[in-house]
Amino acid sequence: MGVGATHIDHIVISSNDSGTVAQTFADNLGIEIKRKMIRPGTSAQLAFAKLQEVILEFAGPPEVKPGEEVKARLWGLVVAVDDIDSAVAHLRDLGYNVGDPSKAVQPGAKIATVKAGTAGVPFAMIQYNALPIEGATA
Amino acid sequence: MKAKRIDHVGIVVKDLEAAVATYGRNFGFNADSNRGGEVPALGIKNAFLPVGESDLEFIQPTGEEGPVAQFAKDRGEGTFMLSIEVDDIDGAVEHLRSLGARVGNPNNGIAFVSMKSTHGVNLQLVQR
Repeated sequence: MGVGATHIDHIVISSNDSGTVAQTFADNLGIEIKRKMIRPGTSAQLAFAKLQEVILEFAGPPEVKPGEEVKARLWGLVVAVDDIDSAVAHLRDLGYNVGDPSKAVQPGAKIATVKAGTAGVPFAMIQYNALPIEGATA
Repeated sequence: MKAKRIDHVGIVVKDLEAAVATYGRNFGFNADSNRGGEVPALGIKNAFLPVGESDLEFIQPTGEEGPVAQFAKDRGEGTFMLSIEVDDIDGAVEHLRSLGARVGNPNNGIAFVSMKSTHGVNLQLVQR
């Protein structure tokens, strides 16, 4: 028994200049930044690249403040699960503090954060196709 | 050069056996019994937990020296390193150096990129 994870969905690299860090990784590793967006309700920019099944997410302010050095760190993980409600219920039964599943920035997806008990790893779970996609027609 | 796949995410833990047990029992991520163990040359012991096409590598320092021990002293536990698979490790190192990045010499198909060349992210390249 577990959370029913299928794969690591994304890995978050946090920085004070997500644009520069994403471009450095793109240039150095030959990966393509597929999408950029501002996180709703914030000024943080998210940039996404995909390596097979795993998305690299570069998160942080879109550019560094004048005079600051660009600094990044490997942050956390999001795993894809088949049934996020069951996964959350399972972990809560074991005593974990898990946030309620909520709408993710990925269309149609729901995400829930596990707030402790993950060996210091910021950890979340995501289920795709959990919500109707806005603008989509049947 | 083109990155191919996320090979693994390295996670420093205080107690390897406890972390493996917790992630296996509670999350369903089970350690691969054919890989991992003591690595005296690096002052660590490790375990690999496959999740889809990639692994989580749990790493516990066994000594006081080295980057893993230093990370454990500074931050305790947490995400430590990103490992990316490439087709040609020698070509990848040459490419990065041509861009001005500082990269160690490949050893057994593995090369480490200086954190000064990644804005602080601990990055490993690996050829399988």
